[in-house]
Amino acid sequence: MTALLAVDNLEVALDTAHGPARAVRGVSFSLERGDTLGIVGESGCGKSMTALAIMGLLPEAARARGTVSLEGRDLVTLDEDALCGIRGNRIAMIFQEPMTSLNPVHPIGRQIAEPMRLHRGMSRAAALAETVRLLDRVGLPNPESRVGNYPHQLSGGQRQRVMIAMALSCTPDILIADEPTTALDVTIQEQILDLIHDLVDELGMALILISHDLGVIAQTVDRLLVMYGGAIIEQGSTQAVFDRLAHPYSQGLFAAVPKLGQGATRRLATIPGTVPDVSQMPPGCAFAERCPRVLGICREKMPEMTVLRPDHAAACFALGQTGADRR
Amino acid sequence: MSAANGFWSRARRHRSFVAGGALTSLLIATALLSLIWTPYGPTKMSLRYRLKLPSPEHWLGTDQYGRDILSIIMAGAQNSISVGVVSVSIGLVIGVGMGLLAAARRGWIEEVTMRASDFAFAFPAILLAIMLVAAIGPGSVNAIIAIGVFNIPIFARLTRGAAAAVWTREFVLAARAAGKGLTRISVEHVLPNITAVIVVQGTVQFAIAILAEAALSYLGLGAQPPAPSWGRMLSEAQTMIYINPMLAVYPGIAIAISVLGLNLLGDGLRDLIDPRLARQR
Repeated sequence: MTALLAVDNLEVALDTAHGPARAVRGVSFSLERGDTLGIVGESGCGKSMTALAIMGLLPEAARARGTVSLEGRDLVTLDEDALCGIRGNRIAMIFQEPMTSLNPVHPIGRQIAEPMRLHRGMSRAAALAETVRLLDRVGLPNPESRVGNYPHQLSGGQRQRVMIAMALSCTPDILIADEPTTALDVTIQEQILDLIHDLVDELGMALILISHDLGVIAQTVDRLLVMYGGAIIEQGSTQAVFDRLAHPYSQGLFAAVPKLGQGATRRLATIPGTVPDVSQMPPGCAFAERCPRVLGICREKMPEMTVLRPDHAAACFALGQTGADRR
Repeated sequence: MSAANGFWSRARRHRSFVAGGALTSLLIATALLSLIWTPYGPTKMSLRYRLKLPSPEHWLGTDQYGRDILSIIMAGAQNSISVGVVSVSIGLVIGVGMGLLAAARRGWIEEVTMRASDFAFAFPAILLAIMLVAAIGPGSVNAIIAIGVFNIPIFARLTRGAAAAVWTREFVLAARAAGKGLTRISVEHVLPNITAVIVVQGTVQFAIAILAEAALSYLGLGAQPPAPSWGRMLSEAQTMIYINPMLAVYPGIAIAISVLGLNLLGDGLRDLIDPRLARQR
């Protein structure tokens, strides 16, 4: 049986002023209906590029290689017209900034109804009725009167609900949420994550949730990829990864999360250094320069993915000394 | 709509918008009135009444053929407006279309469109219009086409720039993620967001078109006799300048009022529609 979505050895090359850069390096994973996958990493680690490559929406200066197959059909080589039939219909996406992801000049009802009219050939009246139902489902009060509202009349949380309604309008098989809660207040974050989680369960979709926030990931997804420098450095079930962070980067990322009750006396842990420039990636492990447990071999070649447990793997030469007692 | 109310309440307090609107309304009203009534026929000659000074019968006097000046001025407004409307429409439709296409498709289409615009910009607009009219022959229609053609690169470049900025906005990415094609996004998402700049430029080009038509007619390349035209009135008055200089002043004032009104209106619109644009120019 072919997987719903199989990403195999995905590479994204960017043309930069300093020459070509590998923004995504050999990313592979697969997804079935009902699966929830989280992609974690800091800014510039390639997580958004991976999502855009799946959607076929990479910026002009970027090229994708490898395969992204949706039920056996390769999306990387598909032409724009065919991709338009898939985007919003089979794979939908929610973006980080609800404040700017809606067109300011059109009422929200029209923006939600458009994909349904486009992909499902619904009449104006049917699409409107469905829009009201969707807005009600995503928890926007008074949906009948809200359909005529313009984006500026809604709050950030409400706009993100509208974005979710828009993404779900054609009941896609896969929902990609790129930092869906980053721009929202903490209280609203909770609600939006719960909503996404419930809807994914209800509609049996697969979810790819991209975030730099480990808390968001932990409560929403079953499986996890940690990315650094364009490559996956640790993956596994959320439970297994959180129980036993294997890669020094994952450990650093986890330690950098502020915790309640720690008191103001302790400085927040940070990972020293910065993410290497994607156009000047070292030949070895991308994390070597910042790694507390760096070995000689780390700078020479890329570590292979090592299976630690059936549902947990990491790419690191120094796995022997994992931080089981990190807490 | 609260947004529309806000627009009109701000508009009423905006001096150049009000002044420009009033002058432009005067121009339009004159043209409309001349369709149904002018004091005398604008082409009716009367050799007995040649070169009369203003009088109760002829408010602005008569020209060297005894035609009533006020009537010609009024009918000339029609000519100016139709030149403005048609030539701006030509430039708008083709130029905006080209600009949207260039911004959506990028690559060589954008290069070709923009370099072609640069090429057109390298010539002074009026010279370009004169060249075109010389090539296709004088006449009102040809003058309109020539002026329309030089409007194309102006709208193409303006649209491409504004559209390219909209293309980088996140809602366009969201629209693409919803499966919309380039054409659909251009029409549904990009165009409505750049209407303001296009409308403002449209009023400015309207004024320029009136000036250009007057210039072409003055040179004998535009409206042909006896069709009433402000530009031709100027050239006919030129020979009478020592006999009755006022003959040149009336059409001059008509042109000045129209152009001033449209420019003030454009300035006002620019401030009112998008305050950020005022600073960019």
